[in-house]
Amino acid sequence: MARQARLTPLSLMGVAIAALLTFPLAYVTYSAFTGDLSQASNLWNTRLPELLTNTISLALGVSLATLTLGISTAWIITRYQFWGRAFWDWGFVLPLAIPSFVLAYVYTYLLDRAGPVEHIWQWLTNSDVHIPSPYSFTGALVVMTLNTFPYVYLLARAAFQNFNLSFEEAAQATGATRWETFWRVSLPLIRPALVASMFLVVLYVVSDFGAVSLLRFQTFTYAIYQQITGRFDYQSAALLSLLLVSFALVFLFAERWFRKQSRFYQTSGRVRTATPKPCSIIRGLTINLFFMMIFMAAFGLPVFLLIQWTIAAWANGEVGTSFGTYIGNSVFLSAAAATAALALGTPLAYLASRIPSKLHVACLQGAYIGYVLPGPVAALALLMLFTDMIPILYGTVFVLILAYLIHYLPAGLQAMESALQQVHPNLEEAARNLGAKGIRTFMQVTFPLVRKGFFAAWLLMFLLCMKELPATLLLRPIGFDTLAVRIWLEASEELYQLAAPPALLIVILTIPAVFLLSKKNWQAG
Amino acid sequence: MSLQSPLTDPDPQTPMLELDHITCGYQPDVAAVRNLSLCLQPGSILCLLGPSGCGKTTTLRAIAGFEKVSAGEIRLQGQILASASVHLPPEQRRVGMVFQEYPLFPHMAVADNVAFGLYHWKPADRQSRVQALLELVGLKSLEHRFPHELSGGQQQRVAIARALAPKPLMLLLDEPFSNLDPEMTVKMRKELYRVLRQTQTTAILVTHDHEEAFAMADHVAVMQDGVLVQCDTPEAIYQQPSCSFVAEFIGQANTIPGVIHNGHIETEIGTFPNESTFQSNSRVLVMIRPNDIQFTPSESGSGRIESRQFQGSQTLYAIRLQSGQLIHCCMLPIPVYNIEISVNVHVTTSHTILFPQPALSEE
Repeated sequence: MARQARLTPLSLMGVAIAALLTFPLAYVTYSAFTGDLSQASNLWNTRLPELLTNTISLALGVSLATLTLGISTAWIITRYQFWGRAFWDWGFVLPLAIPSFVLAYVYTYLLDRAGPVEHIWQWLTNSDVHIPSPYSFTGALVVMTLNTFPYVYLLARAAFQNFNLSFEEAAQATGATRWETFWRVSLPLIRPALVASMFLVVLYVVSDFGAVSLLRFQTFTYAIYQQITGRFDYQSAALLSLLLVSFALVFLFAERWFRKQSRFYQTSGRVRTATPKPCSIIRGLTINLFFMMIFMAAFGLPVFLLIQWTIAAWANGEVGTSFGTYIGNSVFLSAAAATAALALGTPLAYLASRIPSKLHVACLQGAYIGYVLPGPVAALALLMLFTDMIPILYGTVFVLILAYLIHYLPAGLQAMESALQQVHPNLEEAARNLGAKGIRTFMQVTFPLVRKGFFAAWLLMFLLCMKELPATLLLRPIGFDTLAVRIWLEASEELYQLAAPPALLIVILTIPAVFLLSKKNWQAG
Repeated sequence: MSLQSPLTDPDPQTPMLELDHITCGYQPDVAAVRNLSLCLQPGSILCLLGPSGCGKTTTLRAIAGFEKVSAGEIRLQGQILASASVHLPPEQRRVGMVFQEYPLFPHMAVADNVAFGLYHWKPADRQSRVQALLELVGLKSLEHRFPHELSGGQQQRVAIARALAPKPLMLLLDEPFSNLDPEMTVKMRKELYRVLRQTQTTAILVTHDHEEAFAMADHVAVMQDGVLVQCDTPEAIYQQPSCSFVAEFIGQANTIPGVIHNGHIETEIGTFPNESTFQSNSRVLVMIRPNDIQFTPSESGSGRIESRQFQGSQTLYAIRLQSGQLIHCCMLPIPVYNIEISVNVHVTTSHTILFPQPALSEE
């Protein structure tokens, strides 16, 4: 039922929040085009070709590699019954618990000249051949692929699980072999899931800063960071940021569009789904070997090394009292940002779900701006805004918390929205009808019912903030280091042992969030 | 606390509820409810009857305060609840509502659901009020259960008890039986009727089922496309429908074109005395219920049996007349007449209802 929008105090609050969240990007846009635009053409001639080539080729390469890994693992797990299947079923979600910069730093050690992998390779081939350096396209490709293939795995697994087996049977009845059936029927039918996972992966790759900066691979995010810290050239950084934001926006809209298109693919009525088939011992062993290699590369080996280094650092007395300070800083910042995000997100999500007027929906959409603001861009936006307008606040934790808030609110907002949507408006109307005012209705009826979902949202945002790197590097008060910052600083100096304790702590803390993520409904469309 | 008056005692002299030319919606032409007036005396039960989308639920929600009124006035015991400029929030209206899906608070036990509206009461009063209401709806033993542990019928009883608990002046019920299976519907209908009468509750019940309306209501208000077309006792609605829409909506009715000549109505199936005020030569529609039409098989009959539907105690036949007009008639189940045979149709009543024949459109 269409309702007339009224400007209630709550609506005004929603507008104010949306304005707060979107203003920084608007300010960057404004500043990018004011002043000397000769910078722009300079930038175009010097840096842009390399940045574009690197960013796009990395996105494409990672897409292809993650598709291969994700589809093959998801297919095997949904179709075959073998020893160890239950473990792999959730084991492939674990790599998401490792922040990209932690994986990158482990791989700079593994793939380095005269590192362990090269040793093994030279011993195996009995030659002096060097393997590709980690500080290259290959290094970035390997790290980003291992870091993001679980997204493809999750989406493809959900699609295969809900796949209507009758389509495959119909194909085989016409004489198609199993291989042909897979390529011509099964894969095309889960295309929506694959496309959705590609958008996730590409958005992740182009916004990542941690991995590419440690691997010194020049992409947009890294270049923006260098413009800010190395040359103090905010205008060039702003121009590069706008390019990156537009790229992300195009992707976001393309994803929305494709999701609408893909509705046609969904089958209605009764669906007969596949049950995993038992397979021979040999095949079972082969599968386990294949899975073990992927798992070790993406999670097992890095975590093993982190534990080993942590023990060594501990034994050398390198884990001092300052470690406790870093934990305290990280927890304080993340808790403050997650709490603030919950407080600001609630009115937006509530208004959009209960009185979905154009204004309220627009406010909610505005809050999703963080999706297209990679960390360095969000940091740049606040940096320019506060140095120009409220310099007294610049360099305080307030600016940093605001950056976290803008950047990670979308992740929490999704969980909050779906929690609110599960509470039927009838329940609130019944409460009003029984004499309860708006606030009592929210506290006694709505909130108890969304509490779990809201807690999950808080936890998710908290853990994402714990891993945040680029905005923290750029905006933190002097001497105010977090766990993520310490990892990055030590890893940049190749001080592997010193970086390990905070890295291990973050990985352990992130595992619950990963399980939250894996329980989510990953069906595309 | 006496159960005989679990509600706030109304002033019997003042109408309980008056809808005074209300319109809901902002564009007058497509408003969900247009210019609707109703008056309800204390203790009576009114059914709002109509097909889906006719505006009956919107009317109910406007009374409860969930929809705004763009024109007209809603008064409860003389107090203005809503008008173009006034909108009393739902929580201040003292109008109880039982929603279609009876949204029971899933995180509260039965007793807490019923007690929700008694927030400002003293704990002892609240306790005894909840007990009295659970007894009224026969759920005393289930007070510690949670909504998901109840059957559909039990959930509805809780919803009714919860709505009555804060002593509203009157009760609104939105399609209360639509979520129940047919057997349970009949049982709950009786149960609800007993509760409403026992507590002398003034109530408005929205439904699209005329049998439900006839069984429950003192008055039935029939709505069509946002407009009230007739409001009367169930008997009057059935016997003297104000238009062909009402006639057809509340049960099977034949409407046959006819012309008035010399004090008689001439139709394809016979001539009837004109008891109406229609002028001579005017074209009318004659409504005749299927029970008032019989037929006899005849080789030279003017009608032909097109279909037959056995209904247990009677059989409904559809007969195509020579003009192409289709009429329905009810016959005893025995003997059985075959489809396609020719029949002569005769009307067994002299009492007819006439409606003006709508002008033929120029298209």
